[in-house]
Amino acid sequence: MHKTYRLGRVDVPVLKGATLHVKPGEWVAILGPSGSGKSTLLHLLGDLDQPDADGGEVLFDGRSLASMSRRARNLYRNRSVGFVFQFYHLLPELNILENTLLPALVGLHRWEYYRRIGQLRQRATQLLESFGLGHRLKHRSRELSGGERQRVAIARALMNNPKVLLADEPTGNLDEATGAEILDLIVQQHRDGLTVVMVTHDPAIAERADRIVHLHDGRIAE
Amino acid sequence: MYHALLTNRYLTSRVIPLIAVAAVALCVALVIIVVSVMTGFLNMVRDSGRTLMGDVVISYPVTGIPHYERLIEQIEELPEAEAATPVVDSWGLLKMPYPDGANKDTETVQIWGIEPDSFAKVTGYTDTLYWRPPAEQQLKTMADDDPRRQMDEQVFLDGLTLHDSRSDRAGIVLGIHISIGNDRQSDGSIRPARNGYWWMPQWEVTLTTLPIATGGGLLEPESRIFPVVNEFFSGVFLIDDKRAMIPLEIAQRMLHLNEGEIVDEEQLDDDGLPKVIGVDPAKATMVLVRAAEGVEPDELREQLVGVYDAFRAQLLEDNNALVKPPPQGMGLSIKTWEQQQADFIEPIEKERELMRTLFSLVYLVCAGLVLAIFWAIVYEKTRDIGILRSIGASRFGISWIFLRYGLVIGIAGALVGVGLAYLVVRNINTIHSAMGDPPMWLAIIMLGLALVAIALTIYHGRRGALMPITLGLLVSMTLIGTGAVILVLKDRGGVVIWDPSVYYFTTIPNEMDTGTAIFTMIGAVIFSLIGAFLPAAKAADTDPVRALHYE
Ligand SMILES: Nc1ncnc2c1ncn2[C@@H]1O[C@H](COP(=O)(O)OP(=O)(O)OP(=O)(O)O)[C@@H](O)[C@H]1O
Ligand SMILES: [Mg+2]
Repeated sequence: MHKTYRLGRVDVPVLKGATLHVKPGEWVAILGPSGSGKSTLLHLLGDLDQPDADGGEVLFDGRSLASMSRRARNLYRNRSVGFVFQFYHLLPELNILENTLLPALVGLHRWEYYRRIGQLRQRATQLLESFGLGHRLKHRSRELSGGERQRVAIARALMNNPKVLLADEPTGNLDEATGAEILDLIVQQHRDGLTVVMVTHDPAIAERADRIVHLHDGRIAE
Repeated sequence: MYHALLTNRYLTSRVIPLIAVAAVALCVALVIIVVSVMTGFLNMVRDSGRTLMGDVVISYPVTGIPHYERLIEQIEELPEAEAATPVVDSWGLLKMPYPDGANKDTETVQIWGIEPDSFAKVTGYTDTLYWRPPAEQQLKTMADDDPRRQMDEQVFLDGLTLHDSRSDRAGIVLGIHISIGNDRQSDGSIRPARNGYWWMPQWEVTLTTLPIATGGGLLEPESRIFPVVNEFFSGVFLIDDKRAMIPLEIAQRMLHLNEGEIVDEEQLDDDGLPKVIGVDPAKATMVLVRAAEGVEPDELREQLVGVYDAFRAQLLEDNNALVKPPPQGMGLSIKTWEQQQADFIEPIEKERELMRTLFSLVYLVCAGLVLAIFWAIVYEKTRDIGILRSIGASRFGISWIFLRYGLVIGIAGALVGVGLAYLVVRNINTIHSAMGDPPMWLAIIMLGLALVAIALTIYHGRRGALMPITLGLLVSMTLIGTGAVILVLKDRGGVVIWDPSVYYFTTIPNEMDTGTAIFTMIGAVIFSLIGAFLPAAKAADTDPVRALHYE
C-alpha cells in the first residue's frame, strides 16, 4: 500500500508499498522507529483512513474495503475489528460500563439493542470483571489509572466479538509492570483465537507476538 | 441509539447548554410577552367598543337627529340589527359633594342621556354597573372587607333604571374614576375613601349644562341636582374618568333637544301670542345599534346607510313634519366602532407588526447563540467524534448527535420560555403594581442574600483562588444593585409604566396570545436547529485520524 500525506504543497510519502499478510488467529507485531508510519498502516487496516488512489487496498476475508459500501464499512469497523489506542480514548461523559457497551450501542438499532440489552450488559460486565474492573462499572474514566483505562479500552474493542484486534502501542503510555499486565490480557485473548496486529517500537514487547515485521522506509520487512 | 445517551450526557454534564436553553427561553418569552400585551390591548379596544357603543353609531352632534324614534323603529325591523337606542351627548360641569365645606370641586364631564332599557340591550351597560351584590363566583376572590359584600340589590336596580328609589327622583350614574374618592386597589377593586364615607351613591351632585340654540349661540345654563344612584366601571379609563349617565328626557330638556312648538313671530293667535304653526320634535345626537348574532359590524353599517336614506326620503315628503333630518355626510355619520376608532387602532396594529418583525430578529440571536455554543462543543468533542467513528459510527450518526442536541435545546428553551411568558403575562398587573410600589421585603431579602454571598466569597476565596472571588463579587454586587434599585424606586414612589390616562385602560391585558406563542416556539426550535446544522456538518466531516491525534 501507498499512503502520502500532503503538508501544504509538499507531498510526504509515508507508506511506499508496504505489504502485510495476516493469517486468521495470528499475532503480528509491527516494529519501527517513530514516524515510520506504523500508526498510519494500522489506520488503513482499520478503515480509519484510506490508501492513496491506486495505492493498493486492504483485503479482509478476501474482500476489498474500497469496494464496500459506506454502510458495510461502518459495520466492518464496528464488528470485524477492534481498535486499541496508546491514549485509551475513552469518552469522559460515560461511565466504564457505558464505554464498554458503546460499540453495541453504535452498531445496533434501538429496538434490537433493547431486545438484547440484558445479554449485552452481561457480556460487557463479564469482560470488565475478567479484567479486574467488576467493582468500578459506574466510575468515570478520569477516576481510573492509566492501566485500568487501557483495560476498559480493550474491553470496548472486544465488546462486539471482532475477529481482529488492532492495537497501536497499547502499552506505550504505561510503566513496565502495568504494560506487562495489559500484554497478558492480549495474550489471553489471542489464545482464545483472536487475531492481533500490534504496533510497537519496543522489541521486548514485540517478542510476545507470533511474528515480528519491521516497517522501514515505508516498506515491510520480515 | 448512542445519540440519545450522548446528547443527554453532553447536555447535563456542562453549564453552556443550560445557558443556551436560558437564552432561547428569554428570547421566546420576550417575544410572547410583548406581542401578547399588544394583542390584548387591541382586543380590549375592540371589545370596549361593543361594551360602550354597540356595533354601529349614527351620529349628528349638537343639533341632533329629529324623529329618531321613527328611525329606530325602522332599524329594528332589519334582521341584521338586534337593537337600537337613542343617546343625547354633550358636555357639562359637575359640582361634586367634596370637599366638605364651601368650595366644592367641579369636574368637566361628558353627559350621556340614555334610555336605560334599550341602552342596556345595545351596550354592555348592565355589566359595567359597579355597585351590586357580588355574584357567586366573585365571592371566592373578593377581599373580606370589600364593600360590595354588603351591597343592597336596590343600588344595582337604581343604577339600571337611573332612578333613585329612596327619593323617587331621576338619578345619575357616574364613571367610577370621576370621583377622586374612589381608590383603586392592587386587586383591581375600588374602595371609597375614608372608610366608605365618600361612597358616591349616597351623595348628590349638581349638573350644569350649556344648551346651544338652533342658530348656534349659547343659551342660559341649565342646572339640576341629581342623587348619584350608582357608578359604572368599563375598564376604559378615558370613559370611566369622564362620562356620566342621566335619563334621556332630562338630558333633552337640559339641552333643549326636547319636543317643542314652532311659532311664527309674524302671526299672533287669539291670545295675542305668536302663533303655533307646528311641532319641533325631540332629537337624539346619536343612535347606537347592536348587530344581530353573527352579523359583522360592516354588514350592518351598509344596511343602515340604506335605512337612513329611506327614513329621510319619507320625512322630506311628509308635509306635517317641519323639521327634516340632515343628509348623510353633512355632519351626519354612520360608522362602525372600528371606523370611529380607526385613528387609534391602526397605529397600534402597525406597531404590533413592527414589534413582531423586530423581535423576529431575536430568532437570529438564538440561532447565532446555538451555533457558537455548538461550535465550541464540537471543537471540544473532536476526539469523541474520532473515537465514535473508529468504532463504526456513520457520518450521519455523528451529525445527528448535534442536530438532536440543537433540537433538545430549542424545545427545552421554547417550553421554558412559554412557561415564563405565561407567568409574566398572567401576573403582569401584579408585577406592574409591585414596580409602582416596590415591596420592602424584596429589598431586604436582596441585601440579606448579598451579605450571605459576601460571606461565602470570603470563605471560598480565602485561599486566593480567583474564580470564587470574581464570581462571588459579581453575585453580591448584582444583589446589592438590585436591592439598591428597589430602595431608590421606593424612595421615588415607584415607576408606573402603564399610565391609564395614556394607555386608555385601567389594567394591562393579561391574556397570552396562543397563536404567537405557538409560532414563537416553532420559530425558536427551527432556528436552534439551523444553528446546530453547521457544527453538525463540521462534526460529520471530522477526519477520524486527525481527531484521534488531538490530545
Ligand atoms: N494527518 C497527517 N497529516 C500529515 N502528516 C501526517 C499525518 N499523520 C501522520 N503524518 C505523518 O506521517 C508520518 C508517519 O506517522 P505515524 O503516526 O504513522 O508514525 P508512527 O510510526 O506511528 O510514529 P510513532 O511511533 O511516533 O507513533 C509522520 O512523519 C507524521 O508526521
Ligand atoms: Mg504511532
